[in-house]
Amino acid sequence: MFEEASEVFDNMFKSSFPLTFIVFIPAVLILVSPLPAEAAHEFTVYRMQQYDLQGQPYGTRNAILNTEARTVEAEVLSRRCVIMRLADFSYEEYQKALRQSAGAVVIILPKNMSAVPQDIVQQFMELEPEMLATETIVPVYFAMEDDELLSIYTQTLTSSSSQGSLSAAEVLLHTATANGFQMVTSGAQSKAINDWAITSLEGRLVGVGGEDLPTIVVVAHYDSFGVAPWLSYGADSNGSGVSMLLELARLFSKLYTYKRTHAGYNLLFFVSGGGKFNYQGTKRWLEDNLDHTDSSLLQDNVAFVLCLDTLGNGDSLHLHVSKPPKEGTPQYSLLKELEMVVASQYPEVKFSMVHKKINLADDMLAWEHERFGIRRLPAFTLSHLPSHRLAQRSSIMDVRSVSPSSRHGAGEPPAGPHVDVKKLGRNTKLVAEALARVIYNLTEKGAPGDLQIFTEQMVQEEQLSAVVDWLTAQPRAAQLVDKDSSVVSTLEYHLGHYLKDVKRHYVKADKRDPEFVFYDQLKQTMNAYRVKPAIFDLLLAVCIAAYLGLMYLAIQNFGVLYSVVRRITQPKTKTH
Amino acid sequence: MTLFHFGNCFALAYFPYFITYKCSGLSEYNAFWRCVQAGATYLFVQLCKMLFLATFFPTWEGGAGVYDFVGEFMKATVDLADLLGLHLVMSRNAGKGEYKIMVAAMGWATAELVMSRCLPLWVGARGIEFDWKYIQMSFDSNISLVHYIAMAAVVWMFTRYDLPKSFRLPVTVLLALCVYKAFLMELFVHVFLLGSWTVLLVKAVLTGAISLCSLFLFVTLVHSN
Repeated sequence: MFEEASEVFDNMFKSSFPLTFIVFIPAVLILVSPLPAEAAHEFTVYRMQQYDLQGQPYGTRNAILNTEARTVEAEVLSRRCVIMRLADFSYEEYQKALRQSAGAVVIILPKNMSAVPQDIVQQFMELEPEMLATETIVPVYFAMEDDELLSIYTQTLTSSSSQGSLSAAEVLLHTATANGFQMVTSGAQSKAINDWAITSLEGRLVGVGGEDLPTIVVVAHYDSFGVAPWLSYGADSNGSGVSMLLELARLFSKLYTYKRTHAGYNLLFFVSGGGKFNYQGTKRWLEDNLDHTDSSLLQDNVAFVLCLDTLGNGDSLHLHVSKPPKEGTPQYSLLKELEMVVASQYPEVKFSMVHKKINLADDMLAWEHERFGIRRLPAFTLSHLPSHRLAQRSSIMDVRSVSPSSRHGAGEPPAGPHVDVKKLGRNTKLVAEALARVIYNLTEKGAPGDLQIFTEQMVQEEQLSAVVDWLTAQPRAAQLVDKDSSVVSTLEYHLGHYLKDVKRHYVKADKRDPEFVFYDQLKQTMNAYRVKPAIFDLLLAVCIAAYLGLMYLAIQNFGVLYSVVRRITQPKTKTH
Repeated sequence: MTLFHFGNCFALAYFPYFITYKCSGLSEYNAFWRCVQAGATYLFVQLCKMLFLATFFPTWEGGAGVYDFVGEFMKATVDLADLLGLHLVMSRNAGKGEYKIMVAAMGWATAELVMSRCLPLWVGARGIEFDWKYIQMSFDSNISLVHYIAMAAVVWMFTRYDLPKSFRLPVTVLLALCVYKAFLMELFVHVFLLGSWTVLLVKAVLTGAISLCSLFLFVTLVHSN
């Protein structure tokens, strides 16, 4: 046959050009065709944080993943992709996987984060800072659970947990029936992003009466933080602070438009970026204002700086100070006004002052007011959290709302971080009242403590709720909000609506000695390819060889069938 | 999977053809070139069918999951052209009946194998992803070899002048079965919601039954005179 074939081909190529063309072009095309990317399942994964802060690396350092999937139950994890579900996630198992030099870790999060049982939320929230505390060499990804992914997990679980305790025949059968999964990410290796600009916004309301008016600064940082940037929605921290700041800006801009209510204080509002990265936006803003320009509101006569951080929940309020305010200062009067408003109008709120000295040896500053404290500006932070160390300030569990079904009993265990609009509205009104009492000097003028300056209708809960909804509609991690992003431009528009001289401030890390470095490839597409082990191919080859042998025998002995058929039909034809 | 897997699939798909070619004695008749001609006819007929379908059957955009019974039936009717093509191949070859049938069927089936299965196998079976469908496709090519041999035999019988009157009906029925087999299979799948392995099994059984029937008819016809 082959001799004939070669003859035929010879003739073909000599005689007819078009035939050659027809045969050769497809052949070439076939040989160079790339391997297709037709995956069993394709899903979006969110990479763990990767950043350098003050030269110190944090988070995962890798983005590329091309290994077979296992669950933690498997005996050998080295160079495998370990998949875990949030429900079964524990730090010991995570550490075990990393110690066994796993190739990667993929953590599957439930689709509806707000319905996760609260004990799991609390546990995971505690673990987040620990996962980020040191650098991890292998990539760590988070994926949202869906049916396909769940089935991949279950199949991997059964194949991982049943290894080792089987006989050889069972293992052989297992290799033929079970599916392995090759996890492959499509993106490139993560690179440092050069020249990333963190944007901050400022705006002001100018007081009336005189040149050298005291200035009250209201500050809130707008960025969010969590173990994975694309999953950090930061509702309570610090969506609540920003929405309160916008509401205060709205209320006081109204008061400042009328001559009778125009007060003798300048109000400076500052929405800072990079708050979760040691308050980079605030730091640069202070440098710009104090060191580089000649005249600035911050240089002259600052009454106090009020930082708003995590105010959307809880029944307590804490005024964090790095130095207790002295009597007679505007700071002290705000403290007193807050106490008075709480005592006379909101008895259910527990108000207290928390004193913590600035620890310059620490890598991270505790609260935003410490940035101002370092520059000798009187400042404090208002928050419902008693301590800056609480994990709620940097968790992907900090979402807009928690569904009631996720709580086991009535309000117990405590619900995970979320924004309660009622409480946010109450806190906003409380702060607005206290500020107004300071600005208009009401206590000295003899106004009673339960005098309500703002009516219930003036502090609009719908407005607060809408702002929080909008802020939590997209992740606002500092790596994701660039200067063209809709978060910044919408914030700018909002501020511009109420305030004057709205300006942007950009922070770029120094090229030589960068204070912060962000990395890309934070969101990727991952493919799970169904694969079989090499032994399966061998097994298949043996089966196919046996089948072909049978075929050969059958075709060789076709004559037998033919004669049988003939014998059956013969008598019939004879009778005809 | 790997190149090895492609090798497996390819062997499964191609070797039965090779064995059939060798064992049926076609190689002794110097029939290679004639098989290639049959293959060329296959290409020509498929091209004509495609042009016809593209011209007269606009793409039907019905709702998902709705089975266009009439449309599919009409499309299957176009497969009648295959019968004409097979007849054309056989009428251009002189020789004994078995020889004509085997040449036409081998050329036809091999051309189909090369044209419609080699490329998917090359592209699919080599990819990372493992799927049983490439093994199934290879099995399917074995079935279609049997199918085309049976079909060629039926066409040959149908075109004989000395076909007895009593044979006319069964041969016509078989002919119709051959043409509408694919359509019937699709209908089965749609009505009974069969899995891919079951479909393959049903197809094998159906093809086996058709070819056994045509073998009976063929043997009777050849040895009756």
